[in-house]
Amino acid sequence: MLDTYREVVTPEGVALHLPAAGPVPRALAWLIDFLVRAGVMMAMGMFLGAFGRAGAGFYAVAMFLVYWFYPIVFEAMWNGRTPGKRSMGLRVIAANGAPVGWLAAFTRNLLRVVDMLPLAYAAGLVSSLVDPWGRRLGDMVAGTLVVHDARPREPQPAAVDTALAPSIALRPYEQVALVAFAERAPRLSEARQAELADLAEPLTGARGTAAVTRLYRMANWLLGRR
Amino acid sequence: MKQEHFVQRHQPEWIAFEHWLDARGESARKARAERRNWHGLSDADMPSRYRRLCQQLALARRRGYSPVVTDRLQALMHRGHGLLYRTPAPHWRRAAQFLLAGFPRLVRAERGCMLASFALFWIPLVVIFAAIQWQPELSSSLFDPAQLMQFERMYDPADPARKLGRDSGTDVAMFGHYVWNNVSIGFRTFASGLIAGIGSIVVLIVNGVMIGGVAGHLQAVGHGDPFWRFVAAHSAPELTAIVIAGGAGLRLGLSLIAPGQRRRADALVEGGRRGALLCVGVLAMLVFAAFVEAFWSSIAWMPAWIKYTVGGVLWTLTAAWLLLGGRNLPPEDAAP
Repeated sequence: MLDTYREVVTPEGVALHLPAAGPVPRALAWLIDFLVRAGVMMAMGMFLGAFGRAGAGFYAVAMFLVYWFYPIVFEAMWNGRTPGKRSMGLRVIAANGAPVGWLAAFTRNLLRVVDMLPLAYAAGLVSSLVDPWGRRLGDMVAGTLVVHDARPREPQPAAVDTALAPSIALRPYEQVALVAFAERAPRLSEARQAELADLAEPLTGARGTAAVTRLYRMANWLLGRR
Repeated sequence: MKQEHFVQRHQPEWIAFEHWLDARGESARKARAERRNWHGLSDADMPSRYRRLCQQLALARRRGYSPVVTDRLQALMHRGHGLLYRTPAPHWRRAAQFLLAGFPRLVRAERGCMLASFALFWIPLVVIFAAIQWQPELSSSLFDPAQLMQFERMYDPADPARKLGRDSGTDVAMFGHYVWNNVSIGFRTFASGLIAGIGSIVVLIVNGVMIGGVAGHLQAVGHGDPFWRFVAAHSAPELTAIVIAGGAGLRLGLSLIAPGQRRRADALVEGGRRGALLCVGVLAMLVFAAFVEAFWSSIAWMPAWIKYTVGGVLWTLTAAWLLLGGRNLPPEDAAP
């Protein structure tokens, strides 16, 4: 299976499919967080610079908090999302699909120390490429997972109103393919729609736009739109 | 049943469930405050509705309904799952109980790793200290001359106006520096234990050698008195915390090498959980140590006997806390 879904079978006996995130969006999220943190520290530096040497003490405490606790606090309090992860549509969750807790957020961020070795998150990169669900070492120890947030899918209005029963009985996977075509094809160009519909010529007995319309009507019939 | 009929039949249920999630599921406090104004799905019905939803999702998948339906049901189910099976919120009110009782119990529960860490830190420290007393020029092979000059300046008995252990910097500035520096060292000591414990072992030995080297050199050149007055108090929480962080790192490394009768992944998760709890205590100890180091240890005019008495009290308290804390607590109250 090429998909990086993690299947978590819940106590109800139904599997949750969690789309694990790979290293690239996570690195970008880290970069955004890094810029946010650098910005905060620059602002703190300018503000605390006015307080002279005592300001240096507060600056060091602020640096400590921003360095170690920025990801922990955001992940634990903001439902697994730092600002960077939120902008990339990522979320940290526990391996069983539940929201991440304080202790797991603490563990996975302490272990960044190891993922950063020997430089530039090389250990974390190798680990997330080897692991089927793209976890870095800290995720494995904390029992967490970074997933893509599910994008809501709006139900599409039917492209045509009429229904047409297929001339032959379709197997289940053929029905799925037909319905998927009807849902996704309206977003493709007309030439591409026709090209795809031509593949089903034995079923429709037509080519070009006529085939597209027939497929839409058969999908309507399969979905129960009469 | 065709997909459209299925959706039509169950749509109102899904919408009611979604409304409940939006209105009641976000925050428990808000839900309690607004429970009188809520007229939708009742809270007690939520679990059974959730199970119905799970069954509908299973049906939808089995019947090969399109992703528009299955994705929507899965998103609803995921939100419900998160609410029903989330990690319990930490009991912030029991933080004090954890620090006073749970943490020492956890340290004692890992006594093997803690003793190993203790030895890895203190044996190099004492050996280097003794070796420098015997061969004072050994210190110049550990540190370069500029560093040695700096140490000597920081603890110069001929300069009574100088604050102890300082090159420059005010108390607050040094507090910030100690927090940043020491807690980072503590956290790194734990985390680097994941590399089969090697990281923690290296950090412990290096720190033992360095501290033993500084102490030995200052004692050998006759700057011992200001040095001991400086370190007497804060060394108790600081050095103990580093040993505990090292022990937590060794525990983590050990669960990688010798997972016992569990899968390696499960052993690592358990080692990480215990290590992270230990790190919470290490954090508290090191912040306390930084406070003492910045605002008490550097006071130069205090008579030596007061400094040593306070140091003795802190060492005794630290030892008593770790050895006796939480003895009479039932076992299930140990973790927060």
